[in-house]
Amino acid sequence: MSDLAHLVSRAELIAPGAVVVPVARRVKAWFGAALFVILFSLAWIDLEITITVLAGGFGKMVDIIATMVPPSSGGQMERLLWAIAQTIAIAILGTILAVLIATPLGFAAARNIVPNAVIHFVIRRFMDIFRGIPVLVWALILVAAVGLGPIPGILAIAFADIPRLAKLLAEAIENAEERQSVSLRATGASALGVLRFGILPQTLPVYLSQCLYYLEQNFRSAAIVGVVGAGGIGFELEERIRIFAFDQVAFIILLYIIAVSLLDFGSQRLRARLT
Amino acid sequence: MAADHPRTAPEHRDDLVVFEQEWHRRSRQSRLVSLGWIVLASLVLLLSFELSEAGRSSVDAGWTARIASFADQMIPDLQLQNLFGGRGDAGSLASWFYDLPVWLVAMRETIAMAFVGSVIGGIFALLLSFYGARNLNKNRFGVQFVRRSLDLARTIPDVIMALIFAAAFNLGPVAGTLTLIISTVGSLGKLFSESLENAEMRQVDSIAALGGNWFLQIRYGVIPQILPQLLSYWLLRLEINLSAAAALGIVGAGGIGMELQRAISFTQFDTYLAILLLIIGYIVVLDMLSEALRHRLIGRLNPPRKQRSNANGAAAAAGSAPAVAQ
Repeated sequence: MSDLAHLVSRAELIAPGAVVVPVARRVKAWFGAALFVILFSLAWIDLEITITVLAGGFGKMVDIIATMVPPSSGGQMERLLWAIAQTIAIAILGTILAVLIATPLGFAAARNIVPNAVIHFVIRRFMDIFRGIPVLVWALILVAAVGLGPIPGILAIAFADIPRLAKLLAEAIENAEERQSVSLRATGASALGVLRFGILPQTLPVYLSQCLYYLEQNFRSAAIVGVVGAGGIGFELEERIRIFAFDQVAFIILLYIIAVSLLDFGSQRLRARLT
Repeated sequence: MAADHPRTAPEHRDDLVVFEQEWHRRSRQSRLVSLGWIVLASLVLLLSFELSEAGRSSVDAGWTARIASFADQMIPDLQLQNLFGGRGDAGSLASWFYDLPVWLVAMRETIAMAFVGSVIGGIFALLLSFYGARNLNKNRFGVQFVRRSLDLARTIPDVIMALIFAAAFNLGPVAGTLTLIISTVGSLGKLFSESLENAEMRQVDSIAALGGNWFLQIRYGVIPQILPQLLSYWLLRLEINLSAAAALGIVGAGGIGMELQRAISFTQFDTYLAILLLIIGYIVVLDMLSEALRHRLIGRLNPPRKQRSNANGAAAAAGSAPAVAQ
């Protein structure tokens, strides 16, 4: 036994803490694990997830999935394709509106373009606050304000993306290599010249590629905002879920998946050309 | 013109002429390509405008009047003299946030949904990722099956899943939790299997050579290598779920979003603003907490070293965050 103790003490000398874990660290780990389990149990209880709820729900879920096969267009193929096209249109217009407003904001929020600390601080804080609002929350209030239809969808996407895109642009400008600007200034270039030839060539491709990425994501958002009444495929989907026409729901989801894959493919090829 | 420059040696003039011609040709070509893109973009824009009926709005009273009246409904009439009065006083903060206790309970429900969804989703993702990692699962078909199922789970938007779950499990937090579980499995399953594929296999082989079974190979050969990465992915997902859970309630999947939906359906727009402020506060606090946690973790995992960031690096970082979010 003393051999083992000797070995352990030697190992402890070579690599402290590898064989003999200090008591304090063990207690801490167990304490952390216990806290985690307690929190999880409390959350579980709060959600009232019981066996009966789960059993009943999964029973109904099986029925729903059984209704889903085979998917059926319900004889409204034309209308559904039109809704998909409208969803794409909502995504495009929303993204363009967002880019149009976010670009000047992004320039104004970049420290090396507008050195005024107050303007910088105010715009940045505003963006931080609005950045967190999910697109669905925007859509809900805009549908109430503007009425049903694609327009609140366009506005919701734009409002949700403006702070995110502006922040991205501002950071891209701030992270641009300064040496080009310094050289240009040394040749006597104007502020506009420095911007055009020193900063934009570094920033623009990155920003454009980000905008395309947002367009890609916004097709998903456009499908979501439809659920609260902002037009497009989401609106059709919500109507059919409400009347439990799940064969048509499955059809719409398939249509949506195909459209997303095609759009992602196109956008990725375009982005690969940009950068 | 450069070709007429007096100091240019005669033998270089021809080269310069060729250069000029080539340059003109190329600039013409690039201008044509740009023109083509502009025409294409305008066509797409026109088509979108037509499809979205943006020209035919249902707002007939005029936009300015509409927005003004809506803003008026949304902003509460707070009165300075009884700003801090009780719930019954008109114009007090308490009457604006009249249902605060209920909202806080709903907020707790949102957090519980996100936490339970992240934990259970994370466990399922970890289990699935062993089947989705090419180096651990030799069955090619199985790997493809798991990977494609995860892709599917990621493609369907969470809001639409929540709608379907709400139809089966009734309105309430169970539907939201299940939605979060599925979307977490979809995103973390992919990231976890990629981490597993990047793990060094030599440790696994050594344990196998010593006679360790599969469990021991994974527990002592793989997990210690990738645990920090798995944890950081999980924390990021927890953060995403915590903010996604707030929106899910709008379609009836429990939590604070349901209160938002209720305020809208009763056209209590000032109440909507109050709940929205609560959500914004929640998300800002969440942002700050995750920032602080990330700094602590990064500081511990890899000691600070000098890093030169450039535009591309920043874009890659910015691009990867939403990519992970998917």
